[in-house]
Amino acid sequence: MTTDIPALISLLARNEVEFILIGGVAGGAHGSARVTFDLDVVYARSRENMARLVRALRDQEPYLRGAPPGLPFRFDEYTVRMGLNFTLTTKLGDLDLLGEVVGGGFYEQILPRSIEVEIAGVRCRCAELEALIAMKRAAGRPKDREAVAELERILEQREPREPA
Amino acid sequence: MKEYPPFEPDPVIEAYKKDVDVTLIRENLKLTPDQRIQKLMAMQRAVEELRRAVLASRVRERADDDRHSGPD
Repeated sequence: MTTDIPALISLLARNEVEFILIGGVAGGAHGSARVTFDLDVVYARSRENMARLVRALRDQEPYLRGAPPGLPFRFDEYTVRMGLNFTLTTKLGDLDLLGEVVGGGFYEQILPRSIEVEIAGVRCRCAELEALIAMKRAAGRPKDREAVAELERILEQREPREPA
Repeated sequence: MKEYPPFEPDPVIEAYKKDVDVTLIRENLKLTPDQRIQKLMAMQRAVEELRRAVLASRVRERADDDRHSGPD
């Protein structure tokens, strides 16, 4: 199943969920040519935001990806509060909700290292390229190092920044 | 925008860098982030379609093999 990335982003944004795009989709927004099949976001762990997150996904039948069917899993505020990182399937596709990211930390730590982008008609936050590279380097899996190689090439290709 | 210290050189990453197709990156950098995501979606759909086609082909091949092998 394909993941409707614009629809998921739009859904979260319309429900005023505080989130930051990370992972392959964020890489794609920065110019990566690698295909990705899920959406990774880091979300704020405030009570209000977790409630918005649950509300946003209520009609999307979120379920644990790879888990056998029929488990008593309920994606509600209690579950989100008790957990941290969730790899989910939804009616719109695969969604990874991360409360904390290796090499990046929590939402509040990544926020100053994010930029605003417009996707699917909504504005949302996307981790800066350098922050993405730091996360991928920290993850350290072979596929991450391959991704880092491309992200660092993008960094080299971008126009030099104006002096502050 | 925050300034970042340079990343530590990693020989594995440097080796991978040699194979990165920079022409694809240059083309992507001409697009807006929204256009890049639309392109990513199109690639995702194409890969899914290919996967389905390969799977269907395997099922057909297996069915053909079963027909031709017959009972001993």
